[in-house]
Amino acid sequence: MKADAADQDQDALEALAGEYVLGTLPADQRAALAARMAHDPRLQRAVDAWEERLLALTRVAQPSTPSPRLWGRIERSLDERAGWFAKPSVAWWQRLRLWQGVSAVGIAASLVLTFLLLVSPAPSPRYLVVLVAPTDQAPGWVVQASDGRALELIPLGQDAVPDGMALQFWTKGSQWPAPVSLGLIKPGEQYRVPASSMPPLEPDQLFELTLEKAGGSPTGRPTGPVKFIGRAVKVI
Amino acid sequence: MNLPVTPFDFQACLAACAQGDRRALQALYTHEGARLLGVTRRIARDDATAEDIVHDAFIRIWTRAASFDPARGSARGWIYSITRHLALNHIRDVRCEVAFDESDIDAIGAVFPGADDEAWSGSSRIYRCLEQLQPSPQRCILHAYVDGCSHIEIASLLDAPLGTVKAWIKRSLKALRECMG
Repeated sequence: MKADAADQDQDALEALAGEYVLGTLPADQRAALAARMAHDPRLQRAVDAWEERLLALTRVAQPSTPSPRLWGRIERSLDERAGWFAKPSVAWWQRLRLWQGVSAVGIAASLVLTFLLLVSPAPSPRYLVVLVAPTDQAPGWVVQASDGRALELIPLGQDAVPDGMALQFWTKGSQWPAPVSLGLIKPGEQYRVPASSMPPLEPDQLFELTLEKAGGSPTGRPTGPVKFIGRAVKVI
Repeated sequence: MNLPVTPFDFQACLAACAQGDRRALQALYTHEGARLLGVTRRIARDDATAEDIVHDAFIRIWTRAASFDPARGSARGWIYSITRHLALNHIRDVRCEVAFDESDIDAIGAVFPGADDEAWSGSSRIYRCLEQLQPSPQRCILHAYVDGCSHIEIASLLDAPLGTVKAWIKRSLKALRECMG
């Protein structure tokens, strides 16, 4: 009886994998199955076997010569990707769009600040920074620093980082020549920087989190996209 | 005297892509681009969309080449799977139901089961196993795999009840698995 149940289970798995490869699953089931495959080796094997079984059917489609522009488009996209990861042509602190985004931080900062001041009975930190996403200004992290004490980076939500990538924490004072790394952080986890390992904070000092390859930026400067950014506000 | 034609080495191509050799990707494009576009055109049913999908597929092949695992299947299969699933994801997201062009149906009829067609007279087991199915279930499998049709689209194409189409597909897949191993 047990063997029958196992057979039925295998049949159901094969049927699901077959319909996935055939293409007849609706969008939500396709997405769910693709996600499940990553941690279900049996399903993965069943899908792999179906891909190989049906592969020869691709020959039914007549070849179609691509337009002469297509390869050029692919090459340009590869160039852009290479540039994105290796050498941004303009440093982030010189990008206009970024500053336009950062200008909205003030509003978000004052809101979160009010909230934190109201709910927190502890002595007020001297500096506070709200880090927001440059795309939609959604607050993601708060930085607080007290006089001569460690700087704390506190998550406001749980965001994921793609495999093989990491979030790197940076800061830059207005007179500094370039940003300084404060280390790699884990999404959704609080992070502390000892006061001894960074220069004194100043008003308007910039903080940001960029997406870098695991292990951090190879150049010592931010190279990946900015995920969160904000300026230090002095708290009286 | 004809020189023997060297078959394209898909696996070596992926290995070179993983090393950052862009000429390898270009060689793949030159060799397989038209066939990959042919596959996506049948599913997307729109030339511009099909080229967008092939573009995305080549970027994905380039960025994921290092993750190809020969223990899981052939390199050629890996490349076609990436491309087909991008096309399928696209149409499942944007297309609910489609009004089929009669020429698409004719195209399928013309391909199956033309014995003189190289694709059908070849040694591929899938074709021999497909031939053992009844005509309607055969068309279900081909419309789904080749044209990216949903259950509902196939039901309307074959003028058959949706439940019947679903059952045909389920049974055909089981039969194909038993036939091919």
